[in-house]
Amino acid sequence: MSIGISPYRVDASGKVTGAALFPGDLTRPQLLHAKVLFSNQPHARMVRMDTRAAEAVPGVIAIFTAADVPVNEYGLTMFDQPVLVGVNANGRSPVPSDVSRWEGDQVAIIVAETEAAAAAARERINIEWEQLPLLPDIDTAVRDEILLHPEHPAQSNRYHHYKIRKGDMAAGWAAADVIVEGEYHLPNQEHAYLQPEAALSYVDEQGRVTVEIAGQWTHEDQAQIAHALDLPPEQVRVIYPAIGGAFGGREDMSLQIVMALATWKLHQRGEMRPIRCIWSREESIIGHHKRHRARAKTRWGATKEGKITAVEAEVYMDAGAYNYTTNKVMGNFHLTVGGPYEIPNAHIDSYAVYTNSVPGGAFRGFGAPQGCFVAESQMNKLAEALGMNPVALRLKNCYRENSIGITQTPLPAGVSLPQVIEACAAKAGWQVAGGKWQVAGEESPNLAVSSPPISQSPISNLQSPFQSLPPNPATLRFGRGFACAYKNIGYSFGFPERCEATIELYGAGSVERVVLKHSAAEVGQGTHTALRQMAATAVGVPLEIVELVMSDTAVTGDSGSVSASRMTWMAGNAIQLAAAAAKQEWTDEDRPAIGHARFTPPATEPLNPETGHSTPNFAYGYVAECVDLAVDIETGHIHLLRVVCADDVGKAINPRLIEGQVEGGVVQALGYAVTEELVVRDGRVLNPRFSTYLIPGVRDIPDAVESVILEIPDPRGPWGVRGMAEMPFIPLAPAIAAALHDATGVWFNEIPLTPGKVAAKLRDA
Amino acid sequence: MSDHTISITVNGKTEEHTIEPRLLLSDFLRHQLGLTGTHVGCEHGVCGACTVLFDGQPVRSCLMFAVQANGHEIMTVEGLAKSMGNLHPLQQAFWEAHGLQCGFCTPGILLTLLPFLAENPRPTEAEVREALSGNLCRCTGYQHIVDAALLAASRMEFGN
Repeated sequence: MSIGISPYRVDASGKVTGAALFPGDLTRPQLLHAKVLFSNQPHARMVRMDTRAAEAVPGVIAIFTAADVPVNEYGLTMFDQPVLVGVNANGRSPVPSDVSRWEGDQVAIIVAETEAAAAAARERINIEWEQLPLLPDIDTAVRDEILLHPEHPAQSNRYHHYKIRKGDMAAGWAAADVIVEGEYHLPNQEHAYLQPEAALSYVDEQGRVTVEIAGQWTHEDQAQIAHALDLPPEQVRVIYPAIGGAFGGREDMSLQIVMALATWKLHQRGEMRPIRCIWSREESIIGHHKRHRARAKTRWGATKEGKITAVEAEVYMDAGAYNYTTNKVMGNFHLTVGGPYEIPNAHIDSYAVYTNSVPGGAFRGFGAPQGCFVAESQMNKLAEALGMNPVALRLKNCYRENSIGITQTPLPAGVSLPQVIEACAAKAGWQVAGGKWQVAGEESPNLAVSSPPISQSPISNLQSPFQSLPPNPATLRFGRGFACAYKNIGYSFGFPERCEATIELYGAGSVERVVLKHSAAEVGQGTHTALRQMAATAVGVPLEIVELVMSDTAVTGDSGSVSASRMTWMAGNAIQLAAAAAKQEWTDEDRPAIGHARFTPPATEPLNPETGHSTPNFAYGYVAECVDLAVDIETGHIHLLRVVCADDVGKAINPRLIEGQVEGGVVQALGYAVTEELVVRDGRVLNPRFSTYLIPGVRDIPDAVESVILEIPDPRGPWGVRGMAEMPFIPLAPAIAAALHDATGVWFNEIPLTPGKVAAKLRDA
Repeated sequence: MSDHTISITVNGKTEEHTIEPRLLLSDFLRHQLGLTGTHVGCEHGVCGACTVLFDGQPVRSCLMFAVQANGHEIMTVEGLAKSMGNLHPLQQAFWEAHGLQCGFCTPGILLTLLPFLAENPRPTEAEVREALSGNLCRCTGYQHIVDAALLAASRMEFGN
């Protein structure tokens, strides 16, 4: 068996020697260089564009604008964004092309002999803009004084609405002994993958317009390019070289379409040279979507025994200028805003609103981190109001086998949340005594842990000879917080879900070599390593004889995206089927024996528009986290001492890779909760640089992240696998907020918990 | 602006190059020499991905001009291993300890650690964290990177 062990990563040697090629490292003879012109206009109509001065810059080959795009629209779930904003579009898209709705709208792609020439030409494109009224935020946009998307059938900037109508709310409130209300504000988050967007494009030897780029779904990139260029998909080829992180931020198009457009148009003119474009960090941050900012008002009722009786919530998500995947992200927010709990009576409304802000889209957790922050903060407040231990309160209400979910249908079999909660609590030092969960040796039923003496605090371990400012013990407070979460694995709400795999067996008498062909994008998570392990196990051969051919639409089938914690689950199922087919061919004496499979999981359903009734997902992952932190009440600085993360992964294909996802997910969530503050004002990102947008460095990380990996099989997962890569992110922010409350007595309903904000609120409290 | 001719030693090989005076050292290494293991992540000295050794000391190649390297010795990640089958112990440790995910930050981290471990052959975990405090990684949460550095330090052959 090659699963359940941690062989080295297949991509590690290239990554430690510098041999691995990321998109910006690729080159070809006769290379041309491209630059993209962004509109820099949050809301304006283009009146006139003049490219003559730019074209006259020495070395400029061509400039392509809206007039050159065959079908000037794109979007992963709705076509609502022009590929290029400009005048003289051919009118084949219903989306008005002449309006810039976002500062990151693309206007032109300039191709030149050198980067410098392309950059100089970009400065010389003259555009006259007519300013339009700005809709910088939800409150302004919902007034509908001007429609950002008059082509949308909703005829409102509040263009998408989901409902949950379950049970009898009056009865739910009547049964409640306590009611907890809250209003929460969630910020944008920038993906900040270390590798800025870049692409190399050319027409290959078979005449296909080819883009080598970092993405998350080769075949979706191919489909989006084909749609805009009005080409059959097989005329378009997408290849992924090494990818420098993604986290959802590469699900939508950045350079895919414009690079294919420039290459194809030049090819039609007889210009066969390849083109490369590399974005700067600032272009990356301006030019791609973010985690959605959002707000939620909510009210929860519970009996004095701690049973939830009713949940009411109203959610607003800032979609920004274009939908991207907002409608799907909002579905997840909608499903998670009530938490992973049995709720007899629920009334939830979620709205997506178009604004002139940066689009919201996919980012690790996909709406669940926002929903979880709301739900778990409510649970922790309920625990306080009821005088109950937060672990006990969760165990009293959480989903278990055969629970009916918020959408009024049973959860998929294999609900392991109670075990996950208990494992996390036990590891963190709670125990059951007298039938109650409590901290070992502590009488209080409450969450509070007594502050450990400073001399024993792990923070003192961090004092190195280099440290100039040790913490002041007199102003440190300590606290502990708990939160749990669930999230879907795979696509939801009826979106077509599938994954292809091909396995080829070579040899004569015995199998000497196995080739797995697959499109799974290796974004750093280690999927190529895990898929190779699963292929070896499914065929029944040593790992060493399995070779990989990956992520090239010309030779690998459609895998779907690396997103929604789905790839190990989906690809594992496809690999099992392909291996079985290949082994049958081998028995039938075909050489090579080739097995191809297209796996489809059980169908899911969209939410009923009036009640939300549906079977929205086919599998879930479950996670719980406990945070111990120190906060300096004078400076507001938070330091995490310990994070315990219990995650049911079903079956750990590669335990070291899973630990890496837990540790990486926790630190990214620490950034979301504490350090990262994207300043978006009047439709503009004001801090698009790493010097001003602060992702966690090594000195910011918890002293210890302890992974508790549970292996409770998902009955439909391959070898029992569940998806897991998003889960560790999801409950961290509310666990931090709870620990901060435990330490200070103050509830924080808004993140990020930057030092200035924490200190100010503690002073005012 | 007139071009300059510089003599520069990169990974042990000394050559003359004629370059434009405003060419960044990072761009020179990547695009003129084809040493694309030096990655550019932020262009303003924050992320550390472009770290190379300049006369043995780590520098941000995105913050230097190539002409500043005239007469000096540069080492990039491509200079670490004697061959693909003969990795430097530091590279070997990052491979074995899963000290990377996407790998974009890895070359800068290796070249930050190399002189640090030479000067501090038996560092504590806190000292390793301090040494890496100028390098950003978005994937790993850093712990496996720190583990890999400590594994490298624990190996007697390191520094030979």
